[in-house]
Order: sequence, then structure tokens, then C-alpha cells
Amino acid sequence: MQNSNLNMHQSNRRSFLWNAGGGLGGVAMSQMLAQDSLQTAHPELNGGMHHRARVKRIIQLFMTGGASPMDTFDYKPELERLHGQKLGPKEKPEGFVAAPGAIMKSPFKFQQHGESGRWVSSIFPEQAKCVDDLSFLMAMASKTNVHGPGTYMMNSGFLLPGFPCLGAWISYALGNLTDDLPTFIALPDGKGLPYNQRGPFSAGFLPAVHQGTVINTSDGESVPDLFAEKRFQFANQQAGQDGLDLLQMLNRQHASVRRDDTRLDARIQSYELAAKMQLSAPAAFDLAVESETTHAAYGTDNETTQEFGRRCLLARRLIERGTRFVQVWSGPQGATDNWDNHGSISRELPPIATSVDKPIAALINDLKSRGLFEDTLLIWTTEFGRTPFAQGSDGRDHNGGSFVTWLAGAGVKAGTAHGQSDDWGYQAAEGKTYCYDFHATVLHLLGIDHKQLTYRQNGIDRRLTDVHGHVINEILA
Amino acid sequence: MPSVKSMSKPQTIVDCDILANRVLVSSVRLSDHSAMKSAQAICVLLWMLTTAVRPLHANDADDAEFFRQKIAPLLESRCLECHSHATGQMENGLTLDSPAGWTDGGDNGPAVIPGEPDTSLMIQAVRYTDTKLQMPPDERLPETDIALLEEWVSRGAPDPRKAIVPRQTDTDWWSLKPLVRPDIPRPPPGNSSQNPLDAFIERMLTDRQLTSVDEADRRTLIRRLYLDLHGLQPPPEAVRSFLNDPDPLAYEKLVEQLLDSAHYGERWARHWLDVIHFADSHGCEHDVKRPHAWRFRDYVIDRFNLDVPWGRFIREQLAADVFFPDEPDLTAALGFIAAGPFELSRANTAPVTFDYLDRDDMVTQTMAAFVSTTANCARCHAHKFDPVPQEDYYALQAVFAGVGKGDVEYDVTHDTAVSREKWTAILTAAKEKDADVLDTEEVRSLAAQWEATLETPAINWHRLKPDVFLSSDNAVLSIVDDGSILVTGTKPETDTYTITGSPGVLRLTGMRLDVLPDPRLPQNGPGRPANGNFHLSEFTAHLFSPDSEQATPLTFQTATADWNQDSWTIEHAIDGNPQTAWGIFPRVGEPHYAVFELESPVDLVAGARLAVVMKQLHGSSHLIGRFQLSVTDAAPNTLRVLPFDVTTALTIPAPQRTNDQQTAITAYAATQQAMKQLAKLPPKATVYGVSTSWLRASKLETPAAPRVVHLLRRGNINQPVHKVSAGALSAVAALPNRFELDDSASESQRRSALAAWIASPDNPLTWRSIVNRIWQYHFAQGLCTTPNDYGRMGSSPSHPELLNWLAVWFRDDAHGSIKSLHRLILTSHAWKRASVFAPESQTREHRSDADNRFLWRMTRNRMDAESFRDSVLRICGQLDLATGGPGVEHFATHKGQQLTPRLEYGEFDWNSNAARRRSIYRVVWREIPDPFMEALDFPDLGLLVPKRQFSVSALQSLALFNNEFVLHASEWLATRLQQEHNSLAEQIRRAIELVWLRDRTTTEQQAFEQYVDAHGLAALCRVLFNSNEFLFVD
Repeated sequence: MQNSNLNMHQSNRRSFLWNAGGGLGGVAMSQMLAQDSLQTAHPELNGGMHHRARVKRIIQLFMTGGASPMDTFDYKPELERLHGQKLGPKEKPEGFVAAPGAIMKSPFKFQQHGESGRWVSSIFPEQAKCVDDLSFLMAMASKTNVHGPGTYMMNSGFLLPGFPCLGAWISYALGNLTDDLPTFIALPDGKGLPYNQRGPFSAGFLPAVHQGTVINTSDGESVPDLFAEKRFQFANQQAGQDGLDLLQMLNRQHASVRRDDTRLDARIQSYELAAKMQLSAPAAFDLAVESETTHAAYGTDNETTQEFGRRCLLARRLIERGTRFVQVWSGPQGATDNWDNHGSISRELPPIATSVDKPIAALINDLKSRGLFEDTLLIWTTEFGRTPFAQGSDGRDHNGGSFVTWLAGAGVKAGTAHGQSDDWGYQAAEGKTYCYDFHATVLHLLGIDHKQLTYRQNGIDRRLTDVHGHVINEILA
Repeated sequence: MPSVKSMSKPQTIVDCDILANRVLVSSVRLSDHSAMKSAQAICVLLWMLTTAVRPLHANDADDAEFFRQKIAPLLESRCLECHSHATGQMENGLTLDSPAGWTDGGDNGPAVIPGEPDTSLMIQAVRYTDTKLQMPPDERLPETDIALLEEWVSRGAPDPRKAIVPRQTDTDWWSLKPLVRPDIPRPPPGNSSQNPLDAFIERMLTDRQLTSVDEADRRTLIRRLYLDLHGLQPPPEAVRSFLNDPDPLAYEKLVEQLLDSAHYGERWARHWLDVIHFADSHGCEHDVKRPHAWRFRDYVIDRFNLDVPWGRFIREQLAADVFFPDEPDLTAALGFIAAGPFELSRANTAPVTFDYLDRDDMVTQTMAAFVSTTANCARCHAHKFDPVPQEDYYALQAVFAGVGKGDVEYDVTHDTAVSREKWTAILTAAKEKDADVLDTEEVRSLAAQWEATLETPAINWHRLKPDVFLSSDNAVLSIVDDGSILVTGTKPETDTYTITGSPGVLRLTGMRLDVLPDPRLPQNGPGRPANGNFHLSEFTAHLFSPDSEQATPLTFQTATADWNQDSWTIEHAIDGNPQTAWGIFPRVGEPHYAVFELESPVDLVAGARLAVVMKQLHGSSHLIGRFQLSVTDAAPNTLRVLPFDVTTALTIPAPQRTNDQQTAITAYAATQQAMKQLAKLPPKATVYGVSTSWLRASKLETPAAPRVVHLLRRGNINQPVHKVSAGALSAVAALPNRFELDDSASESQRRSALAAWIASPDNPLTWRSIVNRIWQYHFAQGLCTTPNDYGRMGSSPSHPELLNWLAVWFRDDAHGSIKSLHRLILTSHAWKRASVFAPESQTREHRSDADNRFLWRMTRNRMDAESFRDSVLRICGQLDLATGGPGVEHFATHKGQQLTPRLEYGEFDWNSNAARRRSIYRVVWREIPDPFMEALDFPDLGLLVPKRQFSVSALQSLALFNNEFVLHASEWLATRLQQEHNSLAEQIRRAIELVWLRDRTTTEQQAFEQYVDAHGLAALCRVLFNSNEFLFVD
């Protein structure tokens, strides 16, 4: 036991399962049967790979466009003092859309909240009530000021396309918690996909099984291809069930003379799991069974909040039923309806902020009251921040220098903050963290050493954290 | 030199070497001897400088000893595991295995500042005073160790270790060794194969006591062969005829037949497109379609089908324009360099970063695809594992520094290109009155011929009788005695005249505008400004039928005038551009006219009215003062006004003309002829490739010279170190690593130099790379299992001698013919072995090679996404085998939030023709892939894909069972079966024959009949398409 434990620390799950299951088929099997093998082999790790896991499931909220820190969570009195003065760079820095204008104060009022005394602007009245549950990273930085690369970076740790995102890495590392639902589900905004389209849900070079299952809730869709469309009558439910029985018989016969190829068994098993998913998944998507109080809390009864609120509620239902990683996106790519407020902070930020504020607060309270915070992590992310300088009359340009991310739930020290931006909120001043540190911390909570979670691709042992990353111990409970 | 104090002598010498090299490079005209001398001189000078700054102390030896005794072991045991070249771990970019390591430092800057322990990051880290900076991370060092490190830094951080030149000279590695053809092993007794591949493989099997499996049966072989070479299941008829072919060479015949088919290229092109991450859209934020990318896809298919030698294939894709200037259609090959993603958003807002990263993609792809080298790992620092210094990497960037991605136009044949070039040159010469061209025999005779056949047909012009005539800016238009219109009154800056009247003809083919002198106008007119000129910006006409409110706009094909002001020619009046106009300066005070011929004749009904609008928007009152409009029904193509100088020259007999007069005629004749010839040429084709004009910051830039490439410290654009010239890998000893190009060399020479370097017979990587790639697609895994990486992070070949033999044979004997390589592989015993084998005969040796790396059997494979889709279509009788052309879209396109459209795969009409084309012709949208193809492991084309993944999941099975494509196909197949056979028994027999290519068993027949009775034939087809027997290739 001692020995195999050591092995686990030195290798990854894939090679472990390779040895356990044998060859190609073992890997194929491992893509589906992750949690069982890990759990039974190392119960003391609580589902983790390298150390005991604190977190088993994650909801990631992503504010597309670059949520402004100095108008939400990063209070900067200095901006009020210097408002209107031209103190920024004279020329357009690389990655800015335009040359920076004068220093601009926030049009919103800031107040301290909770026992922790966190400053929150009036734009987030509901989340302000939850600050004692949150742990803020106040000086996150990005290596780019451009949406596409920034969105890749925050999700996959790289500025370029083709790399697996956080959810895919987690699926690859830990597998699923249930056979009833996909392991990784992405819920894009009903108005459209984020920057890079499906890039932020991609499994990159990992096997396709680890990519995010994209569910377009605005079409009332659940898991894609869960059932045949109604117009194909020959594929009705009974035909499907009998068909699966027949198929399994054929496949078993076929495998019986090819007994050394476990991939064939994996395929047989995959149809059994598919049938299980057909039985269980629809219930997860049925929001009607939730109480009126719950619906009201998430704001599904209100035009402004209903779209994001429904997806937050769905995320909770999915997590509750064993989906390991759910992404909820606020805002599509593009110039409107998102957090990319170049034109006017006072006009463009309030509608998008209001659309998420109540649902997010409801999600925090709901996860908490249901005891899901015992093993669930909630993370609030965006691709970069915005400039303390005005763009146009009162918009703000892109700024990778400093922005805010928060975490809540299992393993996180609630009511704290780590890092600090400079007096303008322009650059990180203290406790600067990159996505590498953030990702390393999330993996750490899942019982994964980010340096040991690797996949060899084109000659490089790729990691989610590239060659960087430190676990941010300051925010861990 | 800030770190001079800490520098020891060996390091100075290293620096000298680098400098010496630079001297050698820049003084190529000097003799070797003098170059060496000057290098030595600089070495001495440098040595004196350093010693002058830091005189040698007696305690240097003590310091060195202190380091060796106390510090080195400490670093070794507590730091180097995560911070050294030897372990390959460089956490935060920091190494501590050489003085340069801690001087340069990591992400946070220098780790040690000699003499200043308190400001040295390393000391801060080991003190554990800062919670964010604590090293080693697991536990704090004992106080004594911390004290030692502090003392070391206080002493000035003496570090006598040699500089680490990370393995840059370590080229002792299998893939870099020169190619030498090994002897073919003697086949074991009783072995019937004459194929050299079998000799190598058998010897390995014998050595490992692995018994091999027998050849597969013919049915298995033909299915395997079709799917391997065409990516298509064979038709049952082909299987039957192969099974019954008595010819002992039946199999070899089949191989030939399949290699000769156009479908071979369609299959194998896809492999190459995977390797080079080709797709039909940009990817990234602005993931817009590349409507012309398909030309490159067709080019690749074509080259595989033509079996172009590999060396030539390399040259074409990197520099077809240089190597094959007489084959302009090969311009499509340049799609290779542009195959990867394009970050349009970054190009617009962060152009410097964009340049380096876009070229990074070109370098990464070129080096991985052709020479299996991960050169891109040397972007921020020397390659950690392979002998690739940063210099090499940036030298490769310099190769591509003169090109950018975009749509490139080209002629599809050489003749067209030559013709276009010739007539364009004549056109230019005529415009510039360039005597060198116009005075040639050809042009002169062309002009003489034109003059001889010149006819001036009499044109009947009917004056348009205006009944409405208006100025937009309150000038006064009035009809004068001869019926023309005179403009008087206020003189606005700009004006637009609208004249309406009855044409008076039944057929309208052209119109004429006369501008007339008048004593009431300045300079006698015909214009209103002080100089008598005018500028007619736009001349448009509309026709009104008496029975319709709607006006029909008229289109002019030509506009000619008897006189044009320089740069203000009459064409400008019909170009739709209000910024340009027609003028007549300096020939004012005399009449001029212009003729406008309609695109096609218009028949008029009685009562039709014509409205003419004359926009004069130039300003400064450049307005017409007196004019008249006429119309004609003259025969088409007769309405050309000869320019004034030509008309004048023509009135003089040829011998009496001045040079200028003759030139005017020749130039005009040449222009007419050139335009006629150019119009006759087939249009140019377009490919998404590279050219010297590239799209950046939303506009095309045409630079005078390639961009300057700097070596970037830590890959950071803000830390350029020095300029780098074009070159390749220094690790390939047989070839020069920097190209001998002078500074003024055009960018294309850089690409051709790299192509020549790669395609050189002496490049061992190239030939080892391609034979292994081909091998992988036949055997499911390569002899080296990392086809894009032959470095130390890659795998070692399972059969090194075989790989060498194949590389040499392919280069020398097969002359780079891929089809010859296919033949050799496909006719080997190894390839024909069965995959099925009885578990009873499995030995310990077999179990120890469960992955079948030693090829004792064939590896079973699941069909890839394309093979599945195309085979299903063929089985349904729906497959459209048309080849080539623009891609087919399996989605509906809607407007998106920004440039990227919204694609809906669910809205595609599966009964449309596009549904039936082979998958290679699909439009592949990089970041919005087809979910069904993706479920079957169609890859993410953001990165290079040397090998497809294999996955199994519940979601994949749901896609196979419920996706619309499979359900439609089930209906198509059911319909086909019902059309072909009446009885259910026969339909089931035929279904099994089509899908599984075999006879039914009694149990299957019974089970299927039962199922069909309950749920119908289509339901059965759906089950068959999901079966492992169909999905897997034995």
C-alpha cells in the first residue's frame, strides 16, 4: 500500500489506470470510470489525486468582456481626488483599443459591508450582503489586454488556442462523480457564445470526452442528442430501448472473439452509461420542480435576471446531481450586452451587473443552505480588468494590469482578501496573482498538485499552469 | 556589464567565443586567418577589461573553495530539483545551476545581488519573512544553512561553476545522426517474405521471442485496405470480386487500383491537414471564414494523388513562388504557411505581440511537420531538452519575417500569367508613353494594323430636348438659341444638374455630352470658374416608363472623351466615386465632348423619358457653363471617341508625323489592344496563403523589406536583445545553420533557403520524419510514437534500424515517392497480419507488448470521424464522389454578436446535396466545430494534431445513437434496402452485406426479423451503424 501510494504521487491517474487496466483499453475505460477506481484505491485522499481533496465540484461564473474592478469590488478613493486629470500613458499601449483619457472616478457609490468590511459599489447590492462568504483575489493580472487571448488564458492558462480548459483538465484528472450527467457542462449566455466561441470549453489536445458539453438553455435544450428527435418515429423510446439491447448483444458477440481488446468492452459500457443518463438527466433540467421561493430568490421571475438566474439555478441542480464542473457565462462576445464597457460605465455596466447580482447572491445562499459548500467551490472570474482612465466620455478600456476574482465555498477562507492593486487600480501592487496561481489553487483544493497533472503533447509535458503557478495559501481555510 | 564582478574567467571566454563568432560572420571577406586574429584581439581586450575592473585577489581561491565546500552541496540538495537544466525543472523560469542562472534570475528578476543579501530575492526567500516568497517551499532551511547562503552573497556570491550552455552542443541523439543505410537482416529460415520491412521486424520479434499472428483473411484485408487508403468502406461488389480473384497477385493489383484512385488523395490529404492544423476559419476571437482556404486543401489532395516527390512537396509549400515561377497554380501551396489560426483581434490592438506570435505559429508548424522538432520550445529560453538555442528559434522567425497571411491572387496557368504580364506591361507603357516598350516591332505593327482597320462610323446623334432642367444650388439653367443649355446666375461651390427630356429614339445604346464655349463664360468657357475648366464628378442616367413610377438606372460600360485633363479622365465620371472627376484643363475656350456607351441596348416604349444627373462636387465652382445632351441608337461597340491628340495625329500622313504624334497613336492603339486581351483572360484564382502584403491593423500593409526580428530575452517583446538573421537549426551538423543571404535579399529567398535546408538529402530529420508519419497512419502507431517530436521528450523508435533503412530507401531508391512507400508497407507481411488472435495462444511476451509496438499482429483501429461518416453515406447509396471545389457547409449561418457568425449545425438540411459530399470537403470552422464529428474525435485545430485521439464516452454513444445524421442515414439505408429487395429476409441479408461485408448468421437473421417487425427497418439500420463490428477495423 505504501508503495502504490508513492506511485500515485509520482505519476498521474492516467498511468495509474494504464497499469491497473492494461493498455489502450484501460485508458478508454478510465475516461468513464474515474471516480470508482481512484476512490477505492485511495479512500484517504477523499477523491483527490495527490493529497486529500477539499473540493469535489465547481461552479465557475465568467463575466465576459472584462468586469471593471474599480466600479465593483476594488474601491479607489484616489480616483475621486484625481478625477479628470490626464496622468496616464501618453501613447496607446499595446493591447489598448484607444489612447487613454483622463483619470475617471467610479460613477457608483462604495460602502463597506459585512463583518469583513469589504468595500462594494452600489452596483452589486445583493452580492454585497454575501461578502463574508467570499474570498477575494484583489490583484489578479493577465498577460494580455485582448479579449480572445485573455479568455483563453483565464480558462486554459495559455494565450493561444488548442489548450484544454480548467474543466477539461479536471475531467481528465478526476473523471466523473456520477454516470447520470456529463462531467463538464458549459452554459453560455443565451445571447451568444463568449470570445473564442467554443474555445473556452475545449478539451484541446485531451481526448474529446473531456470537453465541455455545451447546453443552450435558451432553446430549452438539455444534454445534446440525449434522445432522438420526435420526427424519427422508428427511433421512439421503445425502439431505442430494444435497439440498445440488440446492439449490446451484437457487441458482446463481437467482443467475445476479441477478448484482449478492452476498448470494445468500454464501448459496450458506454451505451449502458448512455442509457443511465437518459433516465436521470432530464430531471436535472426540470426547473419547474423548484419552489416558488427558490425561483424568486434566483430572479427567474424577473425579466432582467431570469436568463442568468435560470442558468445559476440549473448549475446548482447539476452540481447537486454530480456534474463535476459547470461554467455559467454572463454575456456573449461583442460590443454589447456584456462587461466590455468601452462606451460608458454609467450606462453599460448597470444592466449587465444587475442581471447577475441577484442570481449570484441566491446561488451563494442556496449552496450554503443546502450544505453543498461542504465540497463545492464557486468561482467568479473575468478575463481582465479595465483602465482607471476614461475612454471616450466615461467608458473604460481593457486592462490586464489588475482585476478581481473571488472564490467561495469548500476549503476557502471566507471573508478575506489577498493582494492589492495600486492607488488607481491600474496595476497589481501587492500579492499579484496570475491565472497560474488561481488554477494551481483550484487544483490544490481538488487534491491535485498542479505540477504533477501533465499530458505530453508535441514533445512537452503540458500543464494547466505551464511552468508557473503557486498555490495561494493566504485564501485557504 | 553589471555582473562583471561575479564573472569568473571561464565565462569571459564563453562570451569571447560568441563575439568571435560574430566577427567571423561579419567579416566573410577577410581571410580566415585575419578573422581569427581579430577575434583573438577582442578576447584579449575583453579579458583585460574584466581584470581591470576586478583585480585578482589572493582570496579568490578561498571563495571558490567556500562555494564548492558549502554552497554547491546546499544548492544541489535543496534547490536544483526545481531549478536546473539537468532536471528540466525551471520553476518560475529560475535556474541555479550556473552563475548566469541566478544573475538573469527568473520571473521576478535576478535571484542574487552580489554583496547585498538583504535585497537578494534568494535570501529573502530562504528567510521565510515574506509569506508569498518562501523557498524551499516544503520547509524552511536550518538557520545554519541560511547563514551560509547569506555569507556567500555577502562575499560577493563567488560562483566558479561553468556557464551552462544547455545541451546546445549535445547532438548525440538518434534523430540527429547522419543517415546511414543499415544492412537488411537475413530473413529467418522458412520466412517467405522478400520484403525488407519484414526482415527487420522478424528479427526484432525473434530477439524478443514474440510469435507473430498469421495473415488476415481476404475479407478483412480488403476492408482494412479500403479504409486505410480511401477512408471508405469497400462496396460489397468489390469484396466479392476480390474474394473470387484467382490471380496470385490479386492483392497487389488491388493496392495499385486504390493508389490510382482520386479518393486516395482525399483520404491522405486529411492526415496532412491535421498535422498542420489547417481549417477554413481564423479561429480565436474573430473566427471568420476563409472563403479561399479550400484551394490549399485541393492542392494537397492533388499532390498526394500525383505522388509529388516529398522534397518537391516541401519546396512547393514553403516557396513555390521561388522554386517554380513557371507554375503559378502552385501559389495555392503557400496555404501551408497560413494554415494555422489568425488572431485578428490581437493584430489590431497589440500588433507587436501579434507579429511574434503569428510567426511563432509558422515556425512551430514548419519545424514539427517537416523535421519533427519542437523548435518553439526555444522561444523564451534555450530548449530545455534538445540542442536548440534561442538564436536558432529567432533565426527561424526571421525566415517568415517578410510574409503575412491573407488572400493571394494568382493565375491558374503559366500561359495566362505570361499573357497577363505582357499586356499589363504594354498598358503601363502606353500610359507612361514609355518608348522602350512602344517602339518595339510588335507594338508598332499592332498600331499600324489598328490604324489600317480604323473606321469612323457615322453616328446619328439625336439631341435630347430638355423639358425639365434644374440646378441643385439655385444656378439658372436656360435654353439658348441653338438648343443647348447655358448656366448663369449664382455661382455655387458645387452643383448638380438634373436634365429630363424625351429621347426621341426607339432604342438607346449611348449618350453624348457636349461642353461648349461661350463668350459669356470666363476664358470663353466651357466651365464657370475663372480658368474656364470644370470637374464632372458623376454622370448618371435613369429611364422612366410612362406606365411606371419606378425609374430604371442605366449602366455605362465605357466613357470616352476627345480630351482629358491629366489625372481627370472621363472614366472618373462613371466610376461611382464622387472624389474623382472629368476635366478639360488646359484646353479651355473650345468645345469638347464625351460619349457614354450603355452596358447593353435598351428598347424604349413610347412616352419614355430620360433623366440625366450631372454631379459636380469638386468645389471652387468647377461647374459646366454651357452644354448639350444627345442620344443614339448606333450599333453597339461603335461608340468610342478618339482622344484629341490621336484624332489630330491621324489627320497627318504617317511619314510626316512628329514622334509625339506617332506615339499618341501607338499608345492609344496599344491600350485598346491590351484591354481587349486582358478582358479575354480567365479570371485569377485566390487562395488563403501568405504574401508580402499582409493584413494588420485592418489594412493591407506592403512593406519595403521584411520586418526586423530580435532575439527576445525570456520571449518578452519589451526585451529585445539583438537582431537575428534567417537560418535554421544548428543541431543539424551537415548543413549550414545560417543562410548566406545578403541583407537586401528579398524575403522569398529566406523561405527558399529554409525549404532547401529541410529538403536537403543531408537533413537526417526530414527523411526520418516523413517515413514514420506514413508508417503511423498504416499501423496506428509510428515506429517513433511521437511523430512531431524526435527530441528527448519524444519517444525512441521501436525499430531504429528499420527507421533508418526506410528513410534512406525513401530518399534514394524511392526518390521521395509516398506511393512507393505505401506499396512497400502494404505488401509486407507485417501489415497483412490479423488483429484477432486466440487468447489461448497469448504468451508472457505478448502480454509484455500489449501495445503491439513490435508488430506481432495488426493493431485494431476505430474508424475516424470522416471514415465513419463517408462510409455510412456510401452504404446508404448517398455518397457524392464529386471531387474538389469550395467547401460545403453543414450548418446554417446567422449574424453573430461581432465578426464571428453564429453557426447552427441543427438547422442543416440533411437532404441537401451538401450533405452527401465527402467529409474532406466540409468547411471546418476552427472554434465552432461540428459537434458530431467532434464526438468521434475530430480534433481541435488550434494546435498541430500529429495523431487523432481515441475516446469512448456515454456522450459519444448518445451522438452515435441519436444524432440526426445517423438517424437520417438509417432512413436512407432502409429506403435503399426496400427499393432493392421485397422480402424482409433479403433486406436483412443485404443490410448485413452492406454494413458488415459478410453473410448473416441464423441467430442474427432471427433476432433482426423480430426487431424489424416491432420497430421497422430503419431502426435496425441505426443499430448496425452503432455496432463495434462496423466501427472497428480488424
